Amino acid sequence: MTGSTVDIPDHLVPAETSPAAALWLVQAVSGLLLVALLALHMVAHHFVVEGGLREFRDVVAYISNPAIFWIEIIFLFVVTVHALLGLRAIGLDLAPGPTGRRVMDVALSLAGAGTLVYGIWLLITLRQM
Amino acid sequence: MTSLKSAKSPSSAPLRAWFDVRGRRLGGWAFALNRLSGLGLTLYLFLHLFVLRLLLQGEASWDAFIALARSPLFLTLDVILLAGLLIHGLNGVRVTLVGLGVAARQHRTLFWILMTAAALLLLAGGWRIFTI
Amino acid sequence: MSTQSIVLRVARYKQGDPAPHMEEFTVEADRRTTILTALQEIRRTLDRTLALRHSCHHASCGTCGMVVNGREVLACVTPALEEAAGRVAVTVEPMQNAPLLTDLVVDMDPFYEKYNAAGMAYLRRSEHLAAADLPAGLAAFTRFENCLECGLCVSTCPIMGSDPTYLGPAALAAANRALEEPRDRDAAAVFRLVDRQAGCWRCHVAMECTAVCPSNVDPAGGIMALRQKVLRRRFGRLFRTAAD
Repeated sequence: MTGSTVDIPDHLVPAETSPAAALWLVQAVSGLLLVALLALHMVAHHFVVEGGLREFRDVVAYISNPAIFWIEIIFLFVVTVHALLGLRAIGLDLAPGPTGRRVMDVALSLAGAGTLVYGIWLLITLRQM
Repeated sequence: MTSLKSAKSPSSAPLRAWFDVRGRRLGGWAFALNRLSGLGLTLYLFLHLFVLRLLLQGEASWDAFIALARSPLFLTLDVILLAGLLIHGLNGVRVTLVGLGVAARQHRTLFWILMTAAALLLLAGGWRIFTI
Repeated sequence: MSTQSIVLRVARYKQGDPAPHMEEFTVEADRRTTILTALQEIRRTLDRTLALRHSCHHASCGTCGMVVNGREVLACVTPALEEAAGRVAVTVEPMQNAPLLTDLVVDMDPFYEKYNAAGMAYLRRSEHLAAADLPAGLAAFTRFENCLECGLCVSTCPIMGSDPTYLGPAALAAANRALEEPRDRDAAAVFRLVDRQAGCWRCHVAMECTAVCPSNVDPAGGIMALRQKVLRRRFGRLFRTAAD
């Protein structure tokens, strides 16, 4: 049997280009970045200061450093993207159907946006303290 | 009534399909571990972000929390968190590499190398968490 | 040859039953007895209503796939005494992730709908005789593709267990082979089939498919090779567009 005579059933062919490849790459790259960013975060907040964890003044002083401020924002963005794409992958494995997928994507996008807004606002407010 | 692996009810099928590792090999175990640790870490992420709001309540509130967080129970939870991060992170490196066809036939060896590194880092990190 | 009694706990289900149930049968087995011959013995002498599929009896047709002691195997090449060793009974169940028809028989139609869509030809170039001289009149040595279409890889895949829309390891491995030897197959159609969420990007690298494959298909390797092809094609398009 040669392949050219085989028709693919309609429901197996997507209507438009899928973002699946791009999202997989984003998940992979964000994960690899997190290995470094999380190592940095854990060391900075557990292994550097006397007693391990940073008290209030140590936190404010730490965040006041512009480089640290921007690294924390990047870290927040990367970890939020990775976590929510991970939840999305698990959600997709539950075969939610087209409507369920749309609801899930909207909910996760809103959760992601909300997390970023909250986190950035927190960092900015801390810097001003 | 018998619950066959093949005759699953829709509601229990996903959990059983992902986490019933009886008869599975290393790859299946690693998949289940990554999925569980990922869910745990996501939960922790939002909990952590929520707790950080104490910083906005001022020095007294945050420092009171830090005093609690330095208790043996919380430090133990920190070590468990570290374990989750190392397992998920390093196995994730394996998933990325193998997922693109790099070292796919050696995925078991890769798993053990990375998990050995995770164990060593966990020992070092755990010791540091309790002694700093 | 010495024989010993072994117990098989076999899944039973007939259309109209409220749910499957297990039944135990005791059969005599020797070192040549396979799970398949033990089941046939049950059918011949103990219960003629036991339904199962089998054909070649030497692991080349893929018909007798089932789950024995929790692992996907071809029953015709699975030694019964080895499975019974250290156990009260050998558990025999139908394959997973396929609709159950009766007893140990599952509906393979969903499997074939996806598998056939990949359009893989049954014959392929043979890589084993590359150095040999071709006989007169023969353009190239060919052989059958490795895949037996047994469905064991689909049965063991954790994602197939929760999402029946996932193409699955068999169809994806077949799609990879169709791209490696497209002949007159439309490669763009194969890429459209696999380059999507329910295609090659759904795999979570559990590697169980390759572990259970009885025929050296390496479905997981096929999925990863497919991803490489997809990425090369996508990035190639990106560079061509940028250059225009």
